Amino acid sequence: MVTPEFRERYRARTAFVILASTFALLFSVVVALVAMDQHRVLEASQRLQQDTIPQIIRYQRLARNLEQIRQEGERVFSATTPEARQQSLFLIMLVASHPSILEHPQSAEATRDAERFLIETGNLATRDAARIAQRHAEWQNISKRLSLLVDDLSVQGASLATDDLNEMVAVMQLARVKLIGALILVGGFLLLFILLLNRHLIRPLQRIDQTLSSLSVDRPAPEFPDARMAEIHAVEQATRRLHDSLAANEAARRELELLANRDGLTGLINRRHFMVIADAELQHTQGQGRQAVIALGDLDYFKRLNDTYGHAAGDTVLQSFALLLEESFRQSDLVCRYGGEEFAFLFPDSSLEQARALAERFRQRVADHDIRLADGLLIRVTLSIGLADASKSTIESALHDADFALYEAKRLGRNRVIVAAETG
Amino acid sequence: MSTLRALFLGIYLIAGIVQASELSVAIGVQDPSQLAMSGNVIPPNMPGSELIAFNDDLAREICRRIHARCTVSFVPFSAVLPGVEDGRFDLGFGNLLRTPERDKRVAFSAPIWYSSSRLLGTPATAEAFATKLSHPVSVDTLRDARVAALEGSLQLAFLNTIASQHSLTVSSRKTAQEVIEALRNNTADFGLLSVLSAYALLNRDTTRQIEFIGSAVADRGLGGTVHIALPLQNDTLRRSVDQAIVAIRGDGSFQRIARRHFPLGLD
Repeated sequence: MVTPEFRERYRARTAFVILASTFALLFSVVVALVAMDQHRVLEASQRLQQDTIPQIIRYQRLARNLEQIRQEGERVFSATTPEARQQSLFLIMLVASHPSILEHPQSAEATRDAERFLIETGNLATRDAARIAQRHAEWQNISKRLSLLVDDLSVQGASLATDDLNEMVAVMQLARVKLIGALILVGGFLLLFILLLNRHLIRPLQRIDQTLSSLSVDRPAPEFPDARMAEIHAVEQATRRLHDSLAANEAARRELELLANRDGLTGLINRRHFMVIADAELQHTQGQGRQAVIALGDLDYFKRLNDTYGHAAGDTVLQSFALLLEESFRQSDLVCRYGGEEFAFLFPDSSLEQARALAERFRQRVADHDIRLADGLLIRVTLSIGLADASKSTIESALHDADFALYEAKRLGRNRVIVAAETG
Repeated sequence: MSTLRALFLGIYLIAGIVQASELSVAIGVQDPSQLAMSGNVIPPNMPGSELIAFNDDLAREICRRIHARCTVSFVPFSAVLPGVEDGRFDLGFGNLLRTPERDKRVAFSAPIWYSSSRLLGTPATAEAFATKLSHPVSVDTLRDARVAALEGSLQLAFLNTIASQHSLTVSSRKTAQEVIEALRNNTADFGLLSVLSAYALLNRDTTRQIEFIGSAVADRGLGGTVHIALPLQNDTLRRSVDQAIVAIRGDGSFQRIARRHFPLGLD
């Protein structure tokens, strides 16, 4: 069994050339056959025109002359005067001299016999008019012979035309059959061509078009049925590669976005990204008439901690603090490293009281949380938090208020939560 | 000035066309008295007038079909071919059979009718020769006889070829009527003429002194198709005349003209 990967494929141009050549060859054969019939009809027509019809005319002329001899022979017997009889005999001799009669042996013999008989009759009648009646019975036999000859010639003439016409009819009927065959052949070939075109080109192209129109990294890689056309197969492969490239690009983009939006030390979102998404979230919340609170937190005496234990210890504290943040707040709450040891919070769908409780609980948790430094030493840090109602203000305004409250928390001795409204 | 020149050129060209459409027609006569009647109509009661009138009508019908003005001249049969050959006549009528020898001298139209030849003579002479020869008289059995034929005719040429073998004394006459007269005044035993010429002459002869003798002959150059003679070099005229013959056959004009003068169809 041949697997699709190793299946033989054809180039569309080659397939088209083979199909078109086959069609042209078959059609040429049929046309040649019809042309041969047409040639035969032409030949038969020319023969009819050049040979048969002149021959028919010759037969007609001959029959007409023989009939005239027969009629003049009757007049020899029915003539009432010797002059009239002689006139008919003279005319018989004239007509009997016509080359059309002389060229036809049967007619020439019959005419010669009739002419001789009638001349003898005329001579006898000149001597004894009564004897003419005695010869009439014999003349009737000669006249009958001439009549039969006239009939035979008429039939022969008609037969000549009939033979040619029958041949032409037979050829035309054959040509009609061939033409019908040619039409069926052309129709069948066109149908086959359309089917093949539809199956191997149009439908695959439509599939590729649909795939490209909806090509997205959110969708799985496109799957195509095995194509027999090499070009289609190549485009499908390219489409798959395009999807793979898009997916790779999207992954890179997300990675870059992550790097751009996150703080490298703590893994929290950075201030720039916080401002963007917090502003959007705040507008959304405010648009629905719900409450929101902005908070700013600052680790107390962090500079001193850095000075005392070193920056590495400071970094460890910040990372530990960030983990604690992620464990302590809701999924919907937004937290970022605002700068240094300062952190910003957005509590959507929260009143000031709820936010204060949340902040207070967190402050307490920070204060109770032991942080192990690299050298094994355990230390604790405290956090001052300033809260501000952001239900009706801008992010900048709320941050300003929260910063003011944070300042108050610092001023009042640190490790506490202060709400901006309380400061008046 | 240039306008006048163009006008004269146009007139000259038109005159040339008119000149080109004037044709001279020769018709072989049957009787010497008809030679003086050139340009006039042969009286219908003259010997052989039917054949001349038929040729005359046919010539005028053809001229009408090819849009030519024809001038008819009545000439001896023997003058028809030389006249056409040397360009004095454009069309020659006269029961002319076509032969390879004549083809070298003149061109021939399509056939206009069919002709054969037949001996002529008095019944008494025929009976006497039949007794002497022990055979009915015919072209093939004829011996030791004086035979007359038309000058320049194929009948005369044929007789000359068999004259010595058949011990014939062959003489020529300028017209068919003179051949008949030779039979009447016993200066010839037999005459050999085309059947239609003889018929045209004998039809009005109520004495019936002269009769057809033996069977008609159409072979050995004595019969076949009859044509109009034309100049060799004028192929355009020949084609026009052929087209006219086809046309007058096709519309029945030929048959009407033939029936006007003869009691049988000539084609």
